[in-house]
Amino acid sequence: MHHQQFLPGGYERTPDCFDELVAENGCARAPAAAIAKFIEKHGPMELKRRQSQLDQTISTMGVCFTLYNEGQNIDRAWPLDVMPRTIPYSEWRKTSAGLTQRLTALNLFIDDLYHDQRILKAGVVPAELVLESKNFLAPCQGKSPRFGVWANICGTDLVRDEHGQFLVLEDNLRVPSGVSYMLENRTVMKRVFPELFADSTIVPVDDYPYQLWKMLASLSPRPGDVPCIVVLTPGIFNSAYFEHSYLAQQMGVDLVENSDLFVTEQGVFLKTLHGAKRVDVIYRRVDDIFLDPLVFRKDSVLGVPGLFQAWADGLVSIANAPGSGVADDKVIYAYVPQIIEYYLGEKPLIDNVETYLCSEPAARGYVLANLDKLVVKPANESGGYGILIGPRSTEQERADMAKAIVENPRNFIAQPTLKLSTAPTLCDGFLEPRHLDLRPFILQGAELYCSTGGLSRVALRKGSLVVNSSQGGGSKDTWIINDEV
Amino acid sequence: MLLKSVDHIFWLGRYLERLDDTARLVNATSHLLIDSHQDTQFSWPILLQVLGQTSVASHLTATAIGPEVAKVEQEVMHHLISDPQSSLSIRYTCTALKYNARTCRPLIPRDMFEELNSLELHLQQQCSANLSRQQRYQLMSEISRRCQMVVGVLDGTMLRSEAFDLFNIGRHLERADMTTRIMDVMVLKQLQPTQIKRPKFRWTSILNALGGVESYQYYVAHQAADVDAIDYLLTYADFPRSIAYCLNRVAASARGLPHAGAILQQVKQLQALIEDKALPDLSTEQLHQLIDHIQTGITALHQVICNPSVQFNTEQQISA
Repeated sequence: MHHQQFLPGGYERTPDCFDELVAENGCARAPAAAIAKFIEKHGPMELKRRQSQLDQTISTMGVCFTLYNEGQNIDRAWPLDVMPRTIPYSEWRKTSAGLTQRLTALNLFIDDLYHDQRILKAGVVPAELVLESKNFLAPCQGKSPRFGVWANICGTDLVRDEHGQFLVLEDNLRVPSGVSYMLENRTVMKRVFPELFADSTIVPVDDYPYQLWKMLASLSPRPGDVPCIVVLTPGIFNSAYFEHSYLAQQMGVDLVENSDLFVTEQGVFLKTLHGAKRVDVIYRRVDDIFLDPLVFRKDSVLGVPGLFQAWADGLVSIANAPGSGVADDKVIYAYVPQIIEYYLGEKPLIDNVETYLCSEPAARGYVLANLDKLVVKPANESGGYGILIGPRSTEQERADMAKAIVENPRNFIAQPTLKLSTAPTLCDGFLEPRHLDLRPFILQGAELYCSTGGLSRVALRKGSLVVNSSQGGGSKDTWIINDEV
Repeated sequence: MLLKSVDHIFWLGRYLERLDDTARLVNATSHLLIDSHQDTQFSWPILLQVLGQTSVASHLTATAIGPEVAKVEQEVMHHLISDPQSSLSIRYTCTALKYNARTCRPLIPRDMFEELNSLELHLQQQCSANLSRQQRYQLMSEISRRCQMVVGVLDGTMLRSEAFDLFNIGRHLERADMTTRIMDVMVLKQLQPTQIKRPKFRWTSILNALGGVESYQYYVAHQAADVDAIDYLLTYADFPRSIAYCLNRVAASARGLPHAGAILQQVKQLQALIEDKALPDLSTEQLHQLIDHIQTGITALHQVICNPSVQFNTEQQISA
C-alpha cells in the first residue's frame, strides 16, 4: 500500500497522544487516506476556502446554539471544523456493541434500584451512594416504564487514551443533547465536500431521526393505535432549542411546551386546533424537577400538574423516564464495570477511565495529595462546569477545590489527567492537532440502536481539554469509514 | 396542529407579506418622487403615514422643504429600512419573521427555513442607514425577489395542511390591509370629505406602488362600465392585490379549518361592503367611511382567525 505523508509540509503531532488521522510516522491512517489525497491534490489552502464555504452554509441553514451571557441569550453559529474525524467501521462495530452493552446494564440497574435493590443488598454498589443521592427519586419506586427501560436515550462521552483505546468518560442519561449537530454536520459536509463523499465509503448517519421515532413509538401505552408523540421543550430561550425544534421537525411530531399540555384522569392531552388530543409518548427535554409541580418542586409554576401520576399509572410514556438520572452520576459511574458484570455476567467491552471516589478515605487522601496531577469533577454537573484540571490550575484554585472536597466528599471524583487523542484541525489557516472526544447516541426501547459514530467535539484552543461548545469548543463531522467491503 | 401555532404561522405569513409590500412601496414611491410626477402632491413622509407612523410623519412633513428634503428622505428611509427599533422597518419585520419561523419550525419545510435564514442574514448585513438611492433600489428589489422565493419554495414543498392554509391567510390579509392603507393615505387623505360625488381616480402613483399599472390598463379596456382605480383596487378580483382577490383567497384557504364558519362569516361581511355599494356614485365622504369600515373589518377578521374557540374539558383538568 502506498503510504503518503498526511500533510505535504508535515504535521506536528502532539507528543504522547494518539492522533485520529495521522499515524506515528506522519502518514495518513487508512480511513483518512482519501482526505490526505484531497489535500495533496488541492493543497492546504483549499481547506481554508472550504472552511469559509462551510461557515456560510451553517449560517444559511441556521444551525446555531444559544449561550447565556449576563442574563442575555445570544445565538451563535454552530462551530464545525472543516477536517472530519475518521474511524474504521471494524472498530466502530465493537465500540457500538460496548455502548449498547453499557446502556442495557444501566437500565437493568435503574429498574433494580426502583424495585428490589438487589444490587445494593448484594453490596456491589454501596447503598448509601444511591439512597442519599438527590438523583434517586423516591416517587419513582415501584414504577415500571415499558420494557423496564428507564433511560431510552443515552449520550455516552468517549475519549481515546494514548494507546488509541476508547474509554467511557461519562454516561449522560438525563437529557443528552448534540445529536442534531451530528446530523447537521453531515449535511453541511456533504454540501462542502461532495467529491470526498463520492470517493470514500462513509457510512450514513441520517437514519437517527427515524430510529428515534421508532423507539419512541415502541413506548406507546396504546400499542396498535397510531401513537401521538411530542417533544417537550422548556421553550425558545433554552440553549438547546435548536435541537428540540430540529428533532420535532425531523420526526414529524409536535414541539410542545408545558402550557400546551394538560392532564385529566384519562391521561395527558395536547391543546390542538381541533380540541384535546391524547398524548402517548413525551420525549421530554426538560429536567426531572420541572416535569410536575405536584411531585417535584411544589414552589414551582413550571411543569404540567398531574404528569407524574399519569406516567406512574401507565397512561403516558416519558422518555427518559423520571428518575433515570440516578445512574447519571459521576460516583455511580465508577461502579459501572461492576454493574455490567452483575446484571449481564459479561466483561465491559469498553473500559472506564480510572476514577477516585473522594467519598472513600484512602482515595480522598490520594486525591488531596495529588491535585496538581488530577482532574477533579463535581459528581452532578454537566457542561464542563466546576471542573479542576490539576496540571493547568493555580495554587488558589487547588486550595479552593481541596476545601470543597473536604466539606462534601460525596460530591467529587478525580481522574488522572488524560492524554486525549487529537485530530488535525484548521486553526488560523493551518492544520494543527487539537484534543477531542466523541458522543455517540444510544437508544433503547423495544430494540437497541447506536448512532453511526456520533458528535465529535474538539477543544479549539491549543492544548485545551475542554470541548464544550459553551466554553469555546468546536465540532467535527465523524466519518465511520467502511473498511469491511 | 397545536392551538398556539395558529398565531405563529399566521404571523409568519403576515410578516413575509409585509416585508415584500414595504419593499415594493419604498421603490414605487421613490420612483414617483424622483420623477417629480405631475399628479403627485406627496413627499417622503407619506410612506410613514401609509405604514401608520403618523406622528413622525407629520413632524418630518413640516421640515420637508428646500435643501432639507434630502435629509428628510434619509430619515424616512432610516425609519422604514434600517432602524431596528422602528416597528415598521424592514429590519424589525425581518427579525419578527425569523422569530416566528423559529417558534413554528417543525411546521415549515427545511428549504423554506433556509430561505428565511438567508434572507434575514442578508438584510441584517445590508440594511444600513446610508444607502444611496441606487443601492436602496437594488436592496428593495432583492427583498421582494427573496420573499417571492420563500413563497415559491413553500408552494413546492409544504404539506397542504392547516399550517399552509393559515400561512396563506396571513399573507392575503396583510396584503388587503396594505392596499387599504395605500388607498387611504395616497388617495383619500388628499381629498376633503364632501357630500358631492367623488372625482374619478386614475392615479398612476398608487397603481405603481401596487405594481398594477399594466393590469389596470387591461381592466379599463375590458370593462363595459365607467370605472376607475378605486373600483379596480376594491373589486377587480383578477388583480392579485385587490381587496376582492385577497378576500377570495382568505375564504378559499379557510375552508379546511375547524373555525371556517366564523372566518367565512366575517369575510362575507367584508365582501358585502365592497359589492353592495355603487362605488362610482359615492361621495368622497362615503368613500372615506367605506375604507374605514374595510379596515375595521380586516382587524376583526384577524381576531376571528387567531382566536378559534376550542373547548377543552378543563373542569376535569388536574391543577397545581
